[in-house]
Amino acid sequence: MNAGGKNNEVMKTTGNCITCAEFQDQLPELFESGADLKEQGHLKTCEQCSALVSDLEYIAQQAKLLLPIHDPSPAVWENIQTSLSSDKQNSGSSPTK
Amino acid sequence: MSTAPVGKLTNMSKSVTNGVFSPPAKGTATAVPERQTSNQHLRRNPPIAGEAEAIAAAQAGDGAAFERLYGLHKRRVYSLCLRMLGNVAEAEDLTQEAFLQLYRKIGTFRGDSAFSTWLHRLAVNVVLMHLSKQGLPQVSLEETLEPSQEDGPRKDIGARDLMLSGSIDRVTLERAVSDLPPGYRLVFVLHDVEGYEHNEIADMLECSIGNSKSQLHKARMKLRDLLRTGQTSARREASL
Repeated sequence: MNAGGKNNEVMKTTGNCITCAEFQDQLPELFESGADLKEQGHLKTCEQCSALVSDLEYIAQQAKLLLPIHDPSPAVWENIQTSLSSDKQNSGSSPTK
Repeated sequence: MSTAPVGKLTNMSKSVTNGVFSPPAKGTATAVPERQTSNQHLRRNPPIAGEAEAIAAAQAGDGAAFERLYGLHKRRVYSLCLRMLGNVAEAEDLTQEAFLQLYRKIGTFRGDSAFSTWLHRLAVNVVLMHLSKQGLPQVSLEETLEPSQEDGPRKDIGARDLMLSGSIDRVTLERAVSDLPPGYRLVFVLHDVEGYEHNEIADMLECSIGNSKSQLHKARMKLRDLLRTGQTSARREASL
């Protein structure tokens, strides 16, 4: 593993006055701003940060496709019924209005 | 789905830092504000045929109508619980609790927002209350990651040929999400999967909006690391 400061020097890209570390520090806000990240000057010359941005965008896109696919076991509804029956017997409860 | 790594418990505080989620104080997570949320969230809550009639009947105490509502929404509520908790038994318990709360509170639903949005928020609050009581998400990432790893790509070389685009299937991503530290997983699931905005998450978790943004970014970075290195729980189990 490289130490962070020394590594940042290595990652400094030519033709840009911003390091990878500085760019990545700005990434959370850049993502949330909705700006077109491809227009960021640093990405035009830095393959590594371009790959990072592509990956993070891809992960966010794929997450939106994670549909609810899991079903609870039948025991869940049975327990709900049991609990509601018990409530009714104890207090005659009904939905709050 | 496996349980996320659990480390040493730490003291509670109302913030989210380095994968540590400090839930709201007990008794504060049950309010269910009835309001519209983001477009993404609404996209996930399309109108359901027959739902309005079932809601009205359930509000009048019709048990069959309540069962109908359970059938319509059980999958979504349970999936939410499972993704937030990473544990089947707990997810089932809290699905049960969410629907019991629904039964007790359904009379307060006025239709100002989509029913599914309202129910969803109720379920989120049930999970957060549970976490608040347990204190389990007090897991420090410092115990699961070396500090330099959090910097992620700053140390990477030759990233282009390792780009993820087009390479992840749903199952792999689900497993990676379940492997996130609890604090990261909460924010990631709420924002990227469920479509809540940072201001809503900050409100729910009682942290700052900046904190929510920061946690989300770290969660995505950690996911990227898990996906690129194949270090999901399933891979680890298969290699044993």
